[in-house]
Amino acid sequence: MIYDLIIIGGGPAGITAGIYAARKKLKTLLITKEWGGQIVKANEIENWPGTKIISGTELIKQMTEHLKEFEIEIKQDKEVINLDKKGDNFLVRDNELEYEARTVIIATGKIPRMLNVSGEEEFKGKGVSICATCDAPMFKNKDVAVVGGGNSGFSTALDLVKYAKKVYILEFFEEMKGDPTTKEKLANTGKVEFITNVAIKEIKGTKFVDSLVYEDRKTSKDNEIKVQGVFISVGMEAKVGFAEKLVELNKIGEIVIDKNNYTKTPGLFAAGDITDIKYEQIVIACGEGAKAVLAATNYLENK
Amino acid sequence: MVRVFSTPSCPYCVALKGYLKERNIEFQDIDVSQDLEAQKEMIEKSGQYGVPVIDINGEIIIGFNQERIKQLLKL
Repeated sequence: MIYDLIIIGGGPAGITAGIYAARKKLKTLLITKEWGGQIVKANEIENWPGTKIISGTELIKQMTEHLKEFEIEIKQDKEVINLDKKGDNFLVRDNELEYEARTVIIATGKIPRMLNVSGEEEFKGKGVSICATCDAPMFKNKDVAVVGGGNSGFSTALDLVKYAKKVYILEFFEEMKGDPTTKEKLANTGKVEFITNVAIKEIKGTKFVDSLVYEDRKTSKDNEIKVQGVFISVGMEAKVGFAEKLVELNKIGEIVIDKNNYTKTPGLFAAGDITDIKYEQIVIACGEGAKAVLAATNYLENK
Repeated sequence: MVRVFSTPSCPYCVALKGYLKERNIEFQDIDVSQDLEAQKEMIEKSGQYGVPVIDINGEIIIGFNQERIKQLLKL
């Protein structure tokens, strides 16, 4: 069995691609590890036209239900681990099976960047968190650290000051990168300590996180601070390892596409946050997913 | 008995509770951002801080794990 199209990813770009592909009567398979991705953490979305306010979980539920109205094959809870060429076609391998298709759209989005330091993995959920919206209330009257002094770190800290006794904001560079107004708001709570030139070395604990060790990059001296929570807010990253051979990446690891979503390999398209399209918005990801299918359809017709 | 430990702001908690309601499963809804005793109990029983945690007749499930929930509730 050879599919016309395999879509990898189940966020806004992938789902929209699925809807368009089904309506184009392409024999389509959509493979995804999960539904939604980053959108699931958005509590209030107020720029999705037609709906004044909606939560990320609700919007993705609606999108998924809409997708499933159509004739499309879906493999969920499956992660694609390799993508290769087979003649003019593509072989897509997940952790279970291998599938063949004439075209492929990569729409796997971005995931939170991690620090890759000792203790980070071990204490995930035991003090290490990437979702302040979810976990902040668990740190009432506790001391916590936010790693990352950009706007995402600041917004994490805003969630945390409502509960925590003390919030350290740790930034790798010379200066905090986040919005000065937010910085002032955080400073005014009297709970926040800003520390710059920080290189995180280790997260320590027994059952739960007890402390965090960092190097002061100016003095090269190690410091240890007692914290029960470590919130990682150092941005998002694209993970393209499974397709590396077939695409060109830009400096920050995003897939380079042309204005019609073509990658450097004919028949292979990409859409949404995984690409080098600068603006990352739900409505843009959806549009990109639609464009990728229209381009793939055109490619199939002219082959 | 089914007990759900959650916070109001956590998206997966909302999803989990919606899932149970849709299936007419009665549950005790515990807001651990307010009830600090319950928060302590949840952390001890689950060995971690993340919400939601669901307690189905003493069996603890961390996160919105549909497969496990289906199994234990025989859905």
